[in-house]
Amino acid sequence: MFRRALPSLAFVLGLAAATLPLPGRAAASVTTPQVRAELLAHAPEGVGVGKPLWLGLLIEHQPHWHTYWKNPGDSGLPTTLQWTLPPGLQAGDIQWPTPRKLPIGPLMNYGYEGRLLLPVPVQVSALPAGATLPVKLKAEWLVCKEVCIPESGEFDLELPTQAAIAGQAAHFDAARAALPQAAAGAQGRARVEGDELVVDISGLPAAWQGRKLALLPETPGVINNAAQPRDAWTAERWTARIALDPQRSDSPSAMPAVLVSDDGQGQVAGLQVQVAVTTPWPAPGAASAAAATPVPQTLPALAAPAPTASLGSLPLALLFALAGGVLLNLMPCVFPVLSLKVFGFAQQAHDRRRLLAGGLAYTAGVVLSFLALAALLLALRAGGEQLGWGFQLQSPLFVAALAALFTLIGLNLAGLFEFGSVLPAAWSAARSRHPMIDAALSGVLAVAVASPCTAPFMGASLGLALTLPAAQALAVFGALGLGMALPYLLASAWPALARALPRPGPWMATFRGLMAFPMFATVVWLVWVLGQQTGIDGAAALLGALLALAFVAWALGSPALGGRARAALGTLSLLLLAVALAWALPALRTVEAATAATAATAASADKSAKADVWQPWSPEAVAQLQRDGKPVFVDFTAAWCVTCQYNKRTTLASAEVLDAFNARGVSLLRADWTRRDARITAELARLGRSGVPVYALYAPGAAAPRLLSELPTVAEVETALADLR
Amino acid sequence: MKSLIASLLLSAAAPLALAAAVVGQPAPAFTATDVNGKTVSLADFKGKHVVLEWVNPGCPYVQKHYGAANMQGTQKAAVDQGVVWLSINTVAREHVDYKAPADLAAWMKGQKAAASATLMDSEGTIGRAYGARTTPHMYLINPAGTLVYVGAIDSKPTANPADIATATNHVKAALAESLAGKPVSVSSTRPYGCSVKYPSGA
Repeated sequence: MFRRALPSLAFVLGLAAATLPLPGRAAASVTTPQVRAELLAHAPEGVGVGKPLWLGLLIEHQPHWHTYWKNPGDSGLPTTLQWTLPPGLQAGDIQWPTPRKLPIGPLMNYGYEGRLLLPVPVQVSALPAGATLPVKLKAEWLVCKEVCIPESGEFDLELPTQAAIAGQAAHFDAARAALPQAAAGAQGRARVEGDELVVDISGLPAAWQGRKLALLPETPGVINNAAQPRDAWTAERWTARIALDPQRSDSPSAMPAVLVSDDGQGQVAGLQVQVAVTTPWPAPGAASAAAATPVPQTLPALAAPAPTASLGSLPLALLFALAGGVLLNLMPCVFPVLSLKVFGFAQQAHDRRRLLAGGLAYTAGVVLSFLALAALLLALRAGGEQLGWGFQLQSPLFVAALAALFTLIGLNLAGLFEFGSVLPAAWSAARSRHPMIDAALSGVLAVAVASPCTAPFMGASLGLALTLPAAQALAVFGALGLGMALPYLLASAWPALARALPRPGPWMATFRGLMAFPMFATVVWLVWVLGQQTGIDGAAALLGALLALAFVAWALGSPALGGRARAALGTLSLLLLAVALAWALPALRTVEAATAATAATAASADKSAKADVWQPWSPEAVAQLQRDGKPVFVDFTAAWCVTCQYNKRTTLASAEVLDAFNARGVSLLRADWTRRDARITAELARLGRSGVPVYALYAPGAAAPRLLSELPTVAEVETALADLR
Repeated sequence: MKSLIASLLLSAAAPLALAAAVVGQPAPAFTATDVNGKTVSLADFKGKHVVLEWVNPGCPYVQKHYGAANMQGTQKAAVDQGVVWLSINTVAREHVDYKAPADLAAWMKGQKAAASATLMDSEGTIGRAYGARTTPHMYLINPAGTLVYVGAIDSKPTANPADIATATNHVKAALAESLAGKPVSVSSTRPYGCSVKYPSGA
C-alpha cells in the first residue's frame, strides 16, 4: 500500500516543482524516500552558439537503492530523459557513466548507487532572444533495493544567457571522470562457440593490462549476465568466454560494450570498446547440442557457398580472398584489361623466359596495388574516415581520371594515334627496354579497374579484413591480388597453355580494333557514374574534356600528320584542352557542396519514375518499419558497382520478385552509396561488410537481418521471403 | 570433456545460477502446490498449450498489467481457447512481498484473474528451472511440451498503464500462431519488470 502510493507522490512533487512559480530559483529538484533528483546545467563559457552546454540529472540515492544503466541487466529499466528545449537547442544522448555490477540473488543488474549525474550534451545552433532560456525535463527512473519503484519527475530551469554557468562544475567534472574512457586502438571481436561467446579484445592500454575485467555489453539480452566468465590475458590481449543468455532476445553483429575494472574499494573504471561479432548467431533453440525436437532451420540459400557466412579464421579468409580474386577476372569491368593481357601473350608467346618474367611482373603489379590500396584504406579508417571498399570511385575526380585513361586506351586501340608518336622517344624506348615495368604497370591498371567489382566471396573477406589487425588484413588483400593474377601467372609459367594461344598475325590488328569498343563501353559507364554523382552538368563537362583530350591525342599522335601540321594542331589542341579543363574542373569539384541537392532531386526523380516501390534508406526508416511489424528489404547499392546494377536490372526488377515482395508486404528501401555516406558505411560495417552490393532482409521483430548472396537469384529471394512466414 | 569440467566448475562457483529453459527445447518438468493446496504437475497438461506467468502482487509492473485488466484479459482469451494458464509466485518467505497462499488466492480473486491455477514457488525451484528473472515473465509451452515463447508480456517496457493500448501483446501473438499450428515468429524477447524475489542462500 505504502509503496503503491509512492509513484504518485513522486509525481505530485514533480508537478509541484514544475508548476509552482519560484522566481529567482534556477534549479528544480524532486525528492522521494529513495532518491533526491535535481536538474543541473553547466556552461563554463556562457550559453552561446557553438559553446559547450551540458544539462544533467543528478540522482542521489538513499543507501542500498540503485537506478539502472542503459543495459539494466536481468531486470530493471534504464532512466529516460525527455527534454523540452527552446528552438535552437538540441539535446544529445545521455553520456552514461561507468556502471557497476549489482547482483541480487541469482540475477545480475547493471546500475548505479550513491551519487550519480547523467550528463547530456546540448548543441546550440541558434540563441533565442531573452535573458533566460526555459529548460524543461521529464525524467523517469526505476529505483530498486529489494523492491522496485518506478518514479518520475518534472523539472524546469531558467538558463541565464548573460553569464557563465559554472556553479555545478564539480558535479560535471566528476561525471566526466566517471565516463568510460575511449580506448583508441583497441579492437574487439567475438565469435559464438556452442553456448558461449568468445570475446577477444586486443590493443588495450598498458595501464589496463593484467587487470581483472568484466565485459558489460550495451546491448541487453545477449549474454548471461550472472555467469562468471573465464578470462585470460596474453600480453595486451584479453580473452573471455562468456556464457550466452539461453533466452537470448537479440542477435547483434556489433556489440558496443564497457570493460569495467573494479578495485574492490568501490572505485570502478571503464573503457569503451567496440566488439564485432564475426560468426552468425545460431537459430533459437539450436544453441545446445541436446536438442530433442527438431527445430526448423533456415534453408541454406542455393547450392552456392553462401558468401554471407562470416569467416572465422584467417586461413579460410585467405582462401576465400584467393578464390574471389580469380573470379574478379570474369567481371565485366576487368574484361577490357583481360583482353589487353591476352594480346600481350600473343606477342610474346615465342619467348618463354620473357613470358614468365612478364607474368611475374604482372603479378607483382597486381599484388602491390592491392596492398597499396588496402594500406591506404586502413590508414584512412584508422584516421577516422568513414570509408569502405570502392571508396575511390566515390570521388568524381577519380572517376573522371579513369574515364580519361580508358578513352586514351580505346583511341590507341582504335588506331587514332600511337603512343610512340606522343610520348618522348626516351620514354618509349624505356618502355620497350623494360618490358617488366610495362607488365607491372598493366597489373596496376587491372587493379584500378577491378576495384569496384565486389565479386562473390570478396565482400565477406573484405569485411573481415577490415576488422583484423593491419598485418592480417594486408595478407587478405594480398591473397585477393594473387588470386586475380593467378590465371596469367599460370599461363605464363606453363608453356602448353601459352602455346595454345593464337599465333601473332594480321588478325591482331583486327582484334586490337575490336578491343577498342569494350574500352569505350567502359567510358560510357564511367560517364554515367559521374552523372549520378554530379548531375548532367558534370557529365557534360567530362565529355567535353574527353573530346579535347581525344583531339590532343590525334594532333600529337596521329601517324598521318606531318611535322608542321602536328606543331600547329598540337598547339591548338593543347590550348583547347586547357580551356576544356578550366571549364570542367569546377563542375567536377563543386560536387561536394552540390551533393545534397542533387541527391534530393535524384531521389525525387527516381521516385516519380519508379512509382514509389523503392524508398530511400535510413536507419530511422528501418527502425520505424520494424516497429510497425513490417518486413524490410534493403538494397545497398552504388552507381559505380557493376554487380549492383546488374542485380538491380535483373533479379530485383523481375516481376516474380516484385510480386513476392508485394504479396508479403515487404517494404523496399534502397541505400545509395554512390557518393560518400558515413551512415551507410557505418551500417555496412555493422553488417560485417565493407562494400556493395549487400542485400538485407529484416524479418519483423528480428534485430539482425538475413543477408542474401551478392548475386541473388529469383529463387533465393523467394526462399528467403518464404522463411519470413 | 573440457566443457563438461568447465560447466562443473561453473556450477560449483555459482550455486544459485539459473538453469536454462531454452526456446525450441522441452520445457523443464515441475510439480508444485497451488494456493488451494492442490498438487499440480506440468505433465498433467500434456497435449495442451500451457502459459506460465510469473506474478508478484507487490511489483508495480504486475500492478500495471492487472490494474489495467490486461493480464486478466490475456488469461481469459487463452483459457477460453482451451489453454492452461499457470500463474507462478516465486517470492521468498522472508521477502516483504511474500503473500501466504490464502492471501495470494484472495488477491487473484479480487483481481478477477482467469488463471487455471496459481502456484506457490517460495523456494524458487520452478523459477530457477525456467530462468525467470522478472515479474511478469511469460513462457508458452506447446502441446508437444516444447517451449515456444519466452519473454515479456508486451513490447513497451514501461510502468505506465497507458502504454498497454499501443503495445504488441507478445503472448497473444505467440498463442495465436501456435494454436494455428504455425511456428512462433517472435519467440524470444527481453522480459521487463521487477526482479524475481529469490530466497537468498538457498
